[in-house]
Amino acid sequence: MKLLTKLALALVLAPVGSAVAQQPAGIFPFDYRLVELENGFKAYFIKAGAPDQIAYVSVVRTGSRDEWEPGRSGFAHFFEHMMFRGTEKYPNYDGVTAEMGAARNAFTSNDRTVYYLVASNEYLEQIIDLESDRFMNLSYSEPVFRTEAGAVLGEYNQGANTPTFLLNQTRRETAFDRHTYRHTTIGFGDDVRAMPEGYDYGISFYRRYYRPENVVLVLAGDFDDAEAERLIRQYYSDWEPGYVPPQITPEPPHTAPRRRVVEYAGRTLPVLALNYLGPAWSATDRPAVATEVLGQVAFGSNSDIYRRLVIEERRVQSFEADFELARDPGLLSITARVSNPDDVDLVEREIQGSIEQFRQELVDEKLFNDTKSNMKYDFLMDLETAQSVAFSMFPYVVNTGGIEAVNDYYRTLDSVTREDVREAARRYLVENGKTVVIMVQEG
Amino acid sequence: MKKLALLPACLFVLAACERAPEGTIALHEPESPFIAFNIWVKVGSQNDPAGKEGLAALTANLLSDGSTTADSYDAILEKLYPMAAGYGYNVDKEMTVFTGRIHSDNLEAYYELFRNHLLSPAATDEDFERVKTQTMNDLERTRRYGRDEELSKELLFAMAYEGTPYQHPEEGYVESVRSIALDDVKDFYNTFYVRNNIVVGVGGGYPEGFVERVREDFTTLPEGVIEPVPAPQPRMPDGIEVLIVEKPNDATPVSMGFPIPFVRGERDYFPMVAMNSWFGEHRNSFSRLYQVIREARGMNYGDYSYIEAFPRGYRTQQPRVNCSRRHHVFEMWIRPVAQTAPGNLNDRALFATRAGLRELKSIVDEGMTEGTLSNTQQFLRNYTINWGNTISRRLAYAIDDAFYGIGGDGFLESIRPGLAGLSLDRVNQAIQRSLQYDNLYIVYIVRDAEGLKRKLLSGEPTYITYAGEKSAEHMAVDSLIASFPIPVSEENITIIGINEVFERAPQAEAAAGSR
Repeated sequence: MKLLTKLALALVLAPVGSAVAQQPAGIFPFDYRLVELENGFKAYFIKAGAPDQIAYVSVVRTGSRDEWEPGRSGFAHFFEHMMFRGTEKYPNYDGVTAEMGAARNAFTSNDRTVYYLVASNEYLEQIIDLESDRFMNLSYSEPVFRTEAGAVLGEYNQGANTPTFLLNQTRRETAFDRHTYRHTTIGFGDDVRAMPEGYDYGISFYRRYYRPENVVLVLAGDFDDAEAERLIRQYYSDWEPGYVPPQITPEPPHTAPRRRVVEYAGRTLPVLALNYLGPAWSATDRPAVATEVLGQVAFGSNSDIYRRLVIEERRVQSFEADFELARDPGLLSITARVSNPDDVDLVEREIQGSIEQFRQELVDEKLFNDTKSNMKYDFLMDLETAQSVAFSMFPYVVNTGGIEAVNDYYRTLDSVTREDVREAARRYLVENGKTVVIMVQEG
Repeated sequence: MKKLALLPACLFVLAACERAPEGTIALHEPESPFIAFNIWVKVGSQNDPAGKEGLAALTANLLSDGSTTADSYDAILEKLYPMAAGYGYNVDKEMTVFTGRIHSDNLEAYYELFRNHLLSPAATDEDFERVKTQTMNDLERTRRYGRDEELSKELLFAMAYEGTPYQHPEEGYVESVRSIALDDVKDFYNTFYVRNNIVVGVGGGYPEGFVERVREDFTTLPEGVIEPVPAPQPRMPDGIEVLIVEKPNDATPVSMGFPIPFVRGERDYFPMVAMNSWFGEHRNSFSRLYQVIREARGMNYGDYSYIEAFPRGYRTQQPRVNCSRRHHVFEMWIRPVAQTAPGNLNDRALFATRAGLRELKSIVDEGMTEGTLSNTQQFLRNYTINWGNTISRRLAYAIDDAFYGIGGDGFLESIRPGLAGLSLDRVNQAIQRSLQYDNLYIVYIVRDAEGLKRKLLSGEPTYITYAGEKSAEHMAVDSLIASFPIPVSEENITIIGINEVFERAPQAEAAAGSR
């Protein structure tokens, strides 16, 4: 493997690769290439970051969204923990990665489970061997499974008694009847406490979701393309396809607005959350991309309402809009922590008034253009290390199964008009799609 | 757009690239599309006047989130917005840093705002009211009803540094912050934000002459005279001293530790880096504490140890930067222990404490071995490369080097040789000089405080159960852990309610009690 290091170094400044995929110009400032295996497994190679370092990032396109069976909320995250429990070939995953001095971890969210290692490129083959092995041959005993369930309950408990947790869980439970976005990634408390009994289900989960068609590798850093391709083919080609899609029920259209007040059993200021059912993520659909622009122009840190409520009148202590779209239609959320409990109604009317304005009028042109610029620089400012470059590919990998959509997305953003933003408000910020949650202090 | 090739290797040669003017740290990386700023003001919470604890933090907060004489706060937000940029601040015991990062396309427009926020703050009543109200909410509510594990760590430091300028949390007490007026902030700014008290750090792909320009701008500040604060002389705990916070929660965090006699740059530092990595490397699963408490027993999410202050560790995998201090605590962080099987939660919290203490005793009595030391050296050799993976972090480390007086190529470059050259004897001697297991501060946050106190005083073993089967060998070790002694006397156990935590300075508490 020492030889490999020298090879890679020699190629550092050479122009990238012999065109499995040559990309048209776009926002993404790095060349990349795709290696696709017959079993459906895709690996993207991106040259970025510091000399001799690689980020090896495996994205499973499965997250808490895929927990469609009753009583299994939180399982994708729990299973992420089990992926560190070794195989017959490498029973001690921690020991092997410690020897490399790799920084490695994993995390789970609605639509994805991500495993990564950041390490010296001298370990490229060992990492490919280790990672392909655990995706194909994971092996653990039931007692080990039960023990790890305890660690997951510990993780759940780190945040379970906070106001933020209560608000997020309530918001989802109230807004969704059928779709799996109804639960958070950590899962319902009862389901987390029942996890030790889920050994057999864990095996079935692995067999259905951890398949080559459902996993995308993003390898970013300083490495030799040809060698990496040879190793990927060598180690991943025997992985048998067999992905079974989850049976997720789409959320039926809502016919009336929803409203819920919850009490927090500790100390909190009142928090008001307005949530709307939004569209699914898309790189090419203008109304979808315009919806993300809408969140910024209407409720971002540079919006009129932010200026009024947070800076001038100071009725609101924090004000956040989350209009980031997901793989399936999810929530567009506006959340305000209100200084004086008597002001909650007034703040709600202000937000409602702002929504009405964006449904009627075109957004100010400067704000609109500034927002497009904000979204582009937000992306570019993240592209510093091999790891951050690989991580910046998540939306495209998760939603489309590849990274090609990155340039499409920003081209669509360029083409979005002020009329599109108004249309997004008219289409999605509607009464029947609304769920208001108000969290107040108990008593 | 131009395609980026890999960044050149010289990018990682710290500080060697450029000679910088005095009071300036410059890391020129010409190929980088980013420019980072790190302005170090040599002031921290240790400089807070008595009764106004939290003033350093509130001052930095107002500068960071307030208007300047050139622009109102909303105008600043409007200008920053198209660049997707902002600026941040961090106030620790001894240092305040203001950080910024920008794409080279936007350097000029950004720098003007960044400079103004430090050099020409407007300090308006409206901005002050806004940031103070937000801070008060954090102190009265969020700090107490957010992450228990972070609160237990803050309380450990307050215990360890009782009676010293390090005692109070950087954000202050509820009552002390309530008493802070805008004039206090202005006075504090005028006293400490003077040109001879500021180091300017700039890194990344800035143009020629830029650093000199920045330094010149900061030279417009007046000079001042700063009263030095003596380094803290913390008291070693007398046996085991326990603080129990009562709160209706479902899982119990445990923080424990004691003062240690070395800092970065000193002889025992690298030996103790090796020890600590093997014992409890932050967010790593192969270390002893993690293996014993989480991996083998699934009692919680993780268990780590520290030889340098590491606030808000739940947020980051990488070591904290810009928390440089003249004194540190050896800290063991046991994340919230959950009810993972039938039994009593207090017993589980005490079992985890005992497991940690037993490991501590083991490393003090037996030290490391050739095998564990060489494994640790092998791990750290590559692992530590990531500590300086961004321009902002490299710059922050360079600022810390200035604090600790680390010269040459700097700390990041010294890690590999510093660790590679360690002998087992040197490591084990350093352990003997710094660690012990008889005298510790311990903090718990629990639902049943009196029950925990009774159990501690009883000295009874605290066994735990499991959701799955365990081997006879495992259960035999559990017996040893369950009965590992925690010798504590009643006068060394204090109980307080969650809504009293950090309400006011203990001195103010005592004065109120004597009235």
